[in-house]
Order: sequence, then structure tokens, then C-alpha cells
Amino acid sequence: MPVFNFFHWSKDHGHTLTETGPLVAVEIGVPAALKQHLAEKGLAIPAAISGFALVDTGAFATAVDESIFASLGVQPIDEIPTGTPHGPGKSNVYPASVTFPGMKVNEMSMERVVGCTLKWKTRQNQEVIMLMGRDLLQWFVMIYNGPGSDVTLCF
Amino acid sequence: MPLETELALFEKLKPELLKNHEGKFALIHGSDFIGAFDTAENAYADGVKRWGRDSFLVKKIAAKEEVYRNQALSLGLIHARI
Repeated sequence: MPVFNFFHWSKDHGHTLTETGPLVAVEIGVPAALKQHLAEKGLAIPAAISGFALVDTGAFATAVDESIFASLGVQPIDEIPTGTPHGPGKSNVYPASVTFPGMKVNEMSMERVVGCTLKWKTRQNQEVIMLMGRDLLQWFVMIYNGPGSDVTLCF
Repeated sequence: MPLETELALFEKLKPELLKNHEGKFALIHGSDFIGAFDTAENAYADGVKRWGRDSFLVKKIAAKEEVYRNQALSLGLIHARI
């Protein structure tokens, strides 16, 4: 099982793990089936969109900023009831291809990603576009090293 | 609302789908039920072959629907459609 360390530190702010939470570089792309369809039709395949994923052990499903799917031209395939501060809501569900370049995980197929409005930037200008839920974390071992401002992930 | 027609058809067909295809994934386009697939991936691939980038529904056939909850949603840090 390969082991990858993500040291959360910046020149201006020092240790940043407490402030940002565990962040991992991520790329969201069009699902494999759609990619193949576009290639067969000779249509342009949108480039994957890069950002950061925040590890969210409190969520059972992974969520991605919905604007990403609009940019990629990926349509929702379902909707899911959501619990919000204002009562029950609905969110769209999308298929996606997920790459973690820092862990050499390439084009992992995810059929049910929740679309939400969640894009924000850390003080280090890292754009968070994904909340990595337990549906993804079930494949990983994670060590959260608070004193060392370091997260270790094994896949 | 996207998939409104497809979701309405799914609800209409649900009792019958539960009898015959519980645990599988329904593929619906407009007012047509195409079939039940073993995985969401297979259902999606079939949908893309038929309709490309058009909208279609891939929904798990289950008696109870999962509810998406997380701390960020509960605290209002991220948003869902109400």
C-alpha cells in the first residue's frame, strides 16, 4: 500500500492543518463513458478541473462544487435528499472521474457525487472544490498528525 | 427542475421495480424506462451510448432513499437546493 504524506505548512502562516483541515490536490474530469463517447464522436473532451479536496469524515458521500460539472458539460443523473439548516433540501447527483495526482490515483470512477455550492479559498489561495466523504475514504488509511501539521494517506 | 419527468416516472414505477429489481439501478430517459442494471456505472454507460450528453436518470431501486448529511451542510457552510 503506497504511503503519501501531505505536510500542511506555508511560509507566511506556518503550520496550517488546524486552520484548513486535511487538504489533498484533486482533479475532477468527465466520466470515462462520456469521455469515450466524445472521443468516438470527434468532440473535444473538456480538461479536468484542478483544486483541493478537504477530507470530511462527517459526510458519507463525496461532494463537489456544482459549477465544476457545468464547466465539464456533465448532466446530473439523479437527486438526493439533503439535511440543511433550513430543513429538508435536494441536491443533484453527478458521475465523475476523480484523480489525486499527489497519490498517483488516476481517473477513479465515481458514479454518485453530490453537487453543492462549496467552492472557497484558503488563506494560502488553495481552492477547495471537493469534500472527500466516507464513500471515498473507505479505500484509504489516514493518519492525522496534528502536532506535526501532517496528514498521511495510504491507498 | 432537471430530471422532473424521469423522477416522476420512477416514483410511479417504484412498487413494481422493487418487486423485480430491488438493489439494481434504473435507467430512465423522459417517459421511457429502459431497464435495470447491476451497477450505476453500467447504467450510465448505456445512457451515454444512447443519448450522449442529454439528461437521463440513473437511480438506485431501494425502498428507502439515502439522505445526504454532513457537518458543513448542517452548519450552512455549503448549500443545497431547498
